[in-house]
Amino acid sequence: MISLKNISKKYSKQTVLDITALDIPEGQTFGLVGNNGAGKTTLFSCLLDLIKPTTGRVINNGVDVMESEGWKSFTAAFLDDTFLIGYLMPEEYFYFIGELRGLKKKEVDEFVNQFEDFFHGEILGGKKYLRDLSKGNQKKAGVVAALLGEPKVVILDEPFANLDPSTQIRLKQILKDLSKNKKTTILVSSHDIQDVTEVCERIVLLEKGKIIKDINTSPETLKELEAYFKA
Amino acid sequence: MFYTFLKLQWKSFVRGESIGAEIMTKIFKWFWIVYFIFIIPALGFLTYEVLKESFEIEDPFLFINKQLIYAFVYLIVMRYFVQSIPVVSVKTLLLTPILKTQIVRNALGKSVFSFFNLIVFLYLIPLTFVLISKEYDASQLIGWNLGIISIVYITNYLNFILNNNNKILYSIGGILVSIKILEYYSIFDFTVYSQTFFYSFYTNPIYSVLPWIFLVWLYFYVFKYFKNGLYIDTGLKKKTDEAKMEDFSWLDRFGKTAVFLKNDLRLIKRSKRARSTVYAGVFCLFYGFLFYSQEDLFSSYDYLFASMAFFGYLFTSGGFLFMFGSFVPSWDSQYYSLMMCQNIEYKQYIKSKWTLVVIGTIISTFLACFIYSFLGTEAIFAVLAGGLYNIGVNGYLTLWAGAYTKTPVDLDSSKMAFGGTKAINMKTVLISLPQMVLPIALFAIGNYFYSFSIGCLIVGATGVLGILLKEPVFNLIIKAYKSEKYSTLKAYKQN
Repeated sequence: MISLKNISKKYSKQTVLDITALDIPEGQTFGLVGNNGAGKTTLFSCLLDLIKPTTGRVINNGVDVMESEGWKSFTAAFLDDTFLIGYLMPEEYFYFIGELRGLKKKEVDEFVNQFEDFFHGEILGGKKYLRDLSKGNQKKAGVVAALLGEPKVVILDEPFANLDPSTQIRLKQILKDLSKNKKTTILVSSHDIQDVTEVCERIVLLEKGKIIKDINTSPETLKELEAYFKA
Repeated sequence: MFYTFLKLQWKSFVRGESIGAEIMTKIFKWFWIVYFIFIIPALGFLTYEVLKESFEIEDPFLFINKQLIYAFVYLIVMRYFVQSIPVVSVKTLLLTPILKTQIVRNALGKSVFSFFNLIVFLYLIPLTFVLISKEYDASQLIGWNLGIISIVYITNYLNFILNNNNKILYSIGGILVSIKILEYYSIFDFTVYSQTFFYSFYTNPIYSVLPWIFLVWLYFYVFKYFKNGLYIDTGLKKKTDEAKMEDFSWLDRFGKTAVFLKNDLRLIKRSKRARSTVYAGVFCLFYGFLFYSQEDLFSSYDYLFASMAFFGYLFTSGGFLFMFGSFVPSWDSQYYSLMMCQNIEYKQYIKSKWTLVVIGTIISTFLACFIYSFLGTEAIFAVLAGGLYNIGVNGYLTLWAGAYTKTPVDLDSSKMAFGGTKAINMKTVLISLPQMVLPIALFAIGNYFYSFSIGCLIVGATGVLGILLKEPVFNLIIKAYKSEKYSTLKAYKQN
């Protein structure tokens, strides 16, 4: 379980994040929506100890992320292209991440090969370094790497952006399959409310760093969100 | 228009993440520029006298003409590595209502005033005055100057075509080496012909028209070449290499650090920037030769000189450490957030970097021992002591300073690889002082009161002590890294 307590982030006088309490139970598929500047990436960065919050604490499965590095062993993330190593080939990148999570080369191969469809023949066996791949293909590699080694918590920032329609559909299926086992906590942010409502059990709407809505997804959720964003 | 541009420049400077470091870098850069503005004309003034008096060359001007071919090849190589071609900045101009010919003319025109061309003038003008005062014919010298200048600009525009074409560069290098070898074994002296060629600009100034004709032709050739290349899928396309898998599984014996070592090896092989830095480190291996001319240095009682020579040896084994190591962790700046989220503790990450630097230093020490072995046992002592100190003390200090180095490294450009634009701020300067000053002081004390070998022994022992203190030192370094983590991440995002 992930819980945030009194998390806030201020830059000089501007508050970009201000959450009194947020608990995400184990196995939940959690969606974060909001306009630009709502604080989605800041929130994820705080969860990963990439940004130091001005106040508050983040507890990830019993580990205070600012105190200990223990959360790193069961948490994986793909936020942006700073999570890619440009001079590696996709395979080498997977082996690298796999090795850090204690996987053997063969296990990595087996895992990655499941995603043949998702890769659409553009990732594996190519003759390109990650830096030379298109943005969409880079994202595919990054997302799959984040799923390596059965992490308990997976954090993906805007995973659907930059992907072509077929890949988007496949990625949604991958995330749904993953959430079925009820062991993996998945945190996803998106600009596309339709994508999130399709994948996530629970959706939190941020505005200027504050939680505006906290909804358990139902058939009406999409309308509710649309109404909010129209206003 | 110009004012807007200036304003933008100013803003990007003032609003930069590390303005302090930036100011230091700017000061550093201007220091070098001023240095060259003084030293190059001085060279121009002195060349004639030095050649005549110290080297007893009968006609220094003839000698200069003989050596010119090497100067030009050197110029081409330097341009290739350092002078950047303004291609990237062109991209944004493509959709503005500026004519394509105007864009190309601008790019080519700007290079007329590049540093490499200006220093030639700084050298030629005083040289010419000296030559006139030595009763060479002034009007003929003007012709010679024109000829030389045109060739300088030919190399300038040649660089535009050469850029990113390793094959041509290597063939030029190969030709040069073979010319030198043939000359050395006096099989065939090419410079006799090149000398006649360059000297003919002086004897028959009218000949200097020929290279000018070639220059004009080359300019238009490059102009066309560039204009045709102004598409994002041809000339403006980023060069991509064909990727090849590399396993490096033989490194697995290093345990968990091997994971990172493998990546660092790939980094060195695949990133232009990292590669040139390592080359620079290899270059340092030969630093000790600076003191080679004073062969009986160590038997002499000149303590200051002995200390300087020791500094030279210290540097030979530390080339990789100083060149590559001082950019740790900036090498990982492009994916630092990934590193901070992976299932690896900070300590292991830093340790792997330390291992890499130590391996590099051991190899350098070994090679340096080999290279300097002919200078006697004392030289080997000095190299070994320097190597131990580099491993036991300087390795830590470099990593520690790295915690405060917050300038991202652009792995895909070769820019700055040769320059002294290491990210400088007060903390890194303070930390790196003991890297040089302390071992030399230790050596000097030992050398002064006892002997050369005792001096080496003291430095070496300090290094061993440092190696023994590894664990507590690491804990201190990691503390620094942890407290700097967030601001480092933020600074790297500016990439």
